[in-house]
Amino acid sequence: MKNIDEITTEVLNWVYEKFPLAKNNKISDNDSLLESGIVDSLGILDIVAFLEETFSIQLSDEDMVADHFETVRSIASFTHIKISGSNM
Amino acid sequence: MRFLIEHMLRDSAERYPNKDAIVAGDARLSYSEFAQRVTGLAVSLRKLNIQRQDRVAVFLTPSTDLPIAIFGALQTGAVFVPMHHGLFPEQVVHILNDCGAKILITDSMRLKKLAPVIDQVDHLETLIVDKVLTKSKLQQHDFAELSLPISDNIKSCSIGKDLAAILYTSGSTGRPKGVMLSHNNIIAGAEIVSEYLSIRSTDRLLAALPFSFDAGLNHLMTTVLTGATTVMLEFKFGREIVKKIMDEGITGMGGVPSLWSLLAQPSSGLGKQPLPLRYITNTGGAMPQHILTKLRSLLPATDIFLMYGLTEAFRSTYLPPSQLGRRPTSMGKAIPNTEILVVNRNGKLCQPGEEGELVHHGPTVSLGYWNQPELTAKVLRPHPITQPGRTSGDMVCYSGDIVKTDESGYLFFVGRRDNQIKSAGFRISPTEIEDVICRLNPIQQAAVVGVPDAVLGQHLVAFAIAEDPAETLDPKEILAKCGSALPRHMLPRRIVLVDDLPMTPSGKVDYPKLTVRANSGVKG
Repeated sequence: MKNIDEITTEVLNWVYEKFPLAKNNKISDNDSLLESGIVDSLGILDIVAFLEETFSIQLSDEDMVADHFETVRSIASFTHIKISGSNM
Repeated sequence: MRFLIEHMLRDSAERYPNKDAIVAGDARLSYSEFAQRVTGLAVSLRKLNIQRQDRVAVFLTPSTDLPIAIFGALQTGAVFVPMHHGLFPEQVVHILNDCGAKILITDSMRLKKLAPVIDQVDHLETLIVDKVLTKSKLQQHDFAELSLPISDNIKSCSIGKDLAAILYTSGSTGRPKGVMLSHNNIIAGAEIVSEYLSIRSTDRLLAALPFSFDAGLNHLMTTVLTGATTVMLEFKFGREIVKKIMDEGITGMGGVPSLWSLLAQPSSGLGKQPLPLRYITNTGGAMPQHILTKLRSLLPATDIFLMYGLTEAFRSTYLPPSQLGRRPTSMGKAIPNTEILVVNRNGKLCQPGEEGELVHHGPTVSLGYWNQPELTAKVLRPHPITQPGRTSGDMVCYSGDIVKTDESGYLFFVGRRDNQIKSAGFRISPTEIEDVICRLNPIQQAAVVGVPDAVLGQHLVAFAIAEDPAETLDPKEILAKCGSALPRHMLPRRIVLVDDLPMTPSGKVDYPKLTVRANSGVKG
């Protein structure tokens, strides 16, 4: 199973590719994506689709909160929990 | 007598002084507070030497400051120029230069991003911000200080025919153009729309669309006209919208297709509990049928109005909810006090089923494009049907949208006459994107087309030819460079490097052919 750091790298690379502003602003895994306006409401839908496809997880309604999507690190950590959950 | 936009506010403040006018987050302005802050700002703008018809640009996120800025500018006799809060410095500077704004009202976060370029804007004299920055050479003032409440009323010497707003929007070529709207246009739009949506002072409407967009601005104006409440919201998740609707008792809201797609996601929680929503309206592109079906089942007690409008004529048609079952893909018929014609290439009226251009005739036909008389003359033209008593000054708006009607006169959208793209409710000019691709990358020529997208309406695909055919370019790198100059809605989803582009016999890029290629997903 992937650990948090591996997931973080994977998410960060994808975010860099899909949100060039994140790359240009040298956003790190602990920098804000939502507050900074880099990711908007439609961007979140793209992130959800990416996570579900890449990590074979299913996000529930309760997962859709700002805390989970604020930074690449927070995305990775709740994704990690989802993966662990689905493997149990 | 009511002939200026600010008169609508004056009247509502007299009739409903203690009613909520604007709600944004925890901030609430009653109509009397709203009117007094507006007057305070207007008095301050006068002191800053704002004259009748000067341009005041407004670049703010949804907050109570935004409507105060708009009405404050109007009350001095100035023209307000609202800019979408998501624009990048590149687009903002273009708009400021193009309209010759004397004052920019913005916030410190946006000003920081603008700081490296703001001093180069011609004509700009003053910045009004929530927090004064030390960096700029321009004089700066604090918004809150300038808009302290004043209970007097100051009057401008404007008349209803005067320019009131310039809304920037894209065409099929070049950079965004400013569509000029008069006081008369905006008041007529507010009266017409509040008539067919039956908006009352008891309504509480959610402003999910930006005021830089004609439908969003119209929303604000309908609430001020009727004494209803505007609830402003910046959102990231569908469930935030649903929560706001519950918490604030929202009775009506307008959206674009991408917003409804967001709300139709199960995670938004829409439909889990009955909502106070009396109606919703869609504009800015056709609502996808599967989303419409979902919304109808999730919101059985809510009327759904499908609307159509273009900035150049403000608002044009709507489909009454009673027709939704029979004609779910129709744009409806003309709004009240408006005539919509379908005209063929020979300038004759089309028969039912015959495709032609939608032509709008009515009180919301704009004054044309700011500083672009030639372009204006292409879009605003004399009425195609000559009739005794019709004067040559009575202009109609040629929309560039190809439509047809059924036997009962209901309109159906067919396509664009030109290459304009519409994504997430935004109009996008391919050439504006192509110019950025070529300017920031070793690309000699690019062509951008729109590809159907279930959420956005269309998304962008770019085809590009490298300057040096021997060099291998990375499309991801090209996109990353463009991402520094273009907001995400203007950024191509993918870039396809090609050796040549299909051309028409007259030597122009053959966009229809390229669109077919992009649709079929053929690479290269």
